[in-house]
Amino acid sequence: MNLTYDEWAAAVREGELLGLSCDACDHTNGVPTGACPHCGNRDLTRVSLPTDGVVHSETTIQVPPEGFEERGYQVAVIELGDAKVMGRIDGDSERVAIGDEVVLSGVITEDDDHPAPLFASA
Amino acid sequence: MTRAAVVGAGMTKFGVHDTPLQELFGEAAFGALDDAGVTTDDLDALYFGNAMSGQAENETHLGPRVASHIGAAGLEVQRFEDACATSANAFKNAVRAVDAGVHDVVLVGGVERCTPETGKDTPAMTRIFASASHRQYEQPTGLTFPSVFALLTKRHMHEHGTTEEDLAAVAVKNHANGRLNPRAHFGKETSVEEVLDGPVVADPFRLMDCCPFSDGASAVVVVSDDLADSFDAPVDVTGVGHATDVVPIADKADLPATQAARDAATEAYAQAGIEADDADFAEVHDCFTGAEILASEAIGFAPEGEGGTYAAEGRTALDGDRPINPSGGLKAKGHPIGATGTAQIVELTEQIRGTVGERQVSDANVGVAHNLGGDSATTVVSVLEGRA
Repeated sequence: MNLTYDEWAAAVREGELLGLSCDACDHTNGVPTGACPHCGNRDLTRVSLPTDGVVHSETTIQVPPEGFEERGYQVAVIELGDAKVMGRIDGDSERVAIGDEVVLSGVITEDDDHPAPLFASA
Repeated sequence: MTRAAVVGAGMTKFGVHDTPLQELFGEAAFGALDDAGVTTDDLDALYFGNAMSGQAENETHLGPRVASHIGAAGLEVQRFEDACATSANAFKNAVRAVDAGVHDVVLVGGVERCTPETGKDTPAMTRIFASASHRQYEQPTGLTFPSVFALLTKRHMHEHGTTEEDLAAVAVKNHANGRLNPRAHFGKETSVEEVLDGPVVADPFRLMDCCPFSDGASAVVVVSDDLADSFDAPVDVTGVGHATDVVPIADKADLPATQAARDAATEAYAQAGIEADDADFAEVHDCFTGAEILASEAIGFAPEGEGGTYAAEGRTALDGDRPINPSGGLKAKGHPIGATGTAQIVELTEQIRGTVGERQVSDANVGVAHNLGGDSATTVVSVLEGRA
């Protein structure tokens, strides 16, 4: 593994998003994987993803799962360079729409200390 | 070509059941066995689906328990878990087994309880459902299943101009069909306006865009092609395709494409030797209204980007030219996770037999079932046809 979950999670806590660029096809995976999900190649290069990007899709959740007590939070798939990642939109930021520019702004650890990247409107 | 045949079908009413899992499954299984006119002595195996009762009810290793309950102790039982595509995967494996000559007569089915009868309220069940999203890279954001499909649907709206009114039209249609299905959890006359007045769950989805939490069970008897002629009203299984897609969502090439469904449909149609246009109706996995629109395009019932228009124009209604979800779909019929896949096969079988009464699709001879699991990462597409 060129990138493990623990390494990815430690980086998220430090304000950095790590991905894996495939040397065989043009896919950049937004999170760790053992092989490229699109071509099977195991020869993946660790890359630091850009910290600014564009909203690919988003929704605001009014019925949260157990463990997330605050309703009305926004989640989004963000395009960061050649990769896409799932993240949370900062509650202090304005709501974002598809096509809006966002910037990596921090981390949330509401879920048993599993980190998730936090983005804010740019 | 015929790979297998369905010769018996049974299911419980979907809804709220204060009934243990084996008793629920028993009702569906006995129904299917009696419909086929076989006994448990005739069975070679049980292909059984249950997705989440380990989490929801602290019940695992259900296979032998349900087999014992129906008087089939000693039988080979294999249990499948594939999120919402659980029992379609069981069905695929059963069809493959009889097609290959491994078995001659098999029972296939599934059971689940998802309502507060389990002791789990909405937040708790929402978290259990979310276990089908990625533990490390999705769940920590607070992602839920309505929000998974909201992300896919909003991208579709962005790319194709699909509207909230289009989504609501799916709910109105499926509730109308559900009214005609005595085994449906819900069914009522409603309107686009009423749907749009509902509380938001995860935009663009309001309450009535979402399928309910349901309890229930379903089962079918599957036999080999050679044996099928000795049964009354066999329905042929001519194709079953099964594919997966990239997990997590963000790494998929195309969010609204639901590529696994496209790949599964291509495979199922190739086996059956049909094109999408040859199918008379479909039961698709409308866990949310947007999911039906994506599915209608993925299985070729509507052109690219026009799934919403097809729903709004009534083309997918019972009396439309491309009927989808005559049963009421997951939206109205209900969605007891592990029972949904084979419940679609029950509906296809009964529609093709022409025994469903008021919700009968006219000239229903070729039916398609589309059962999706997780964040669209699994889909099984089956083609059933009347026996010539």
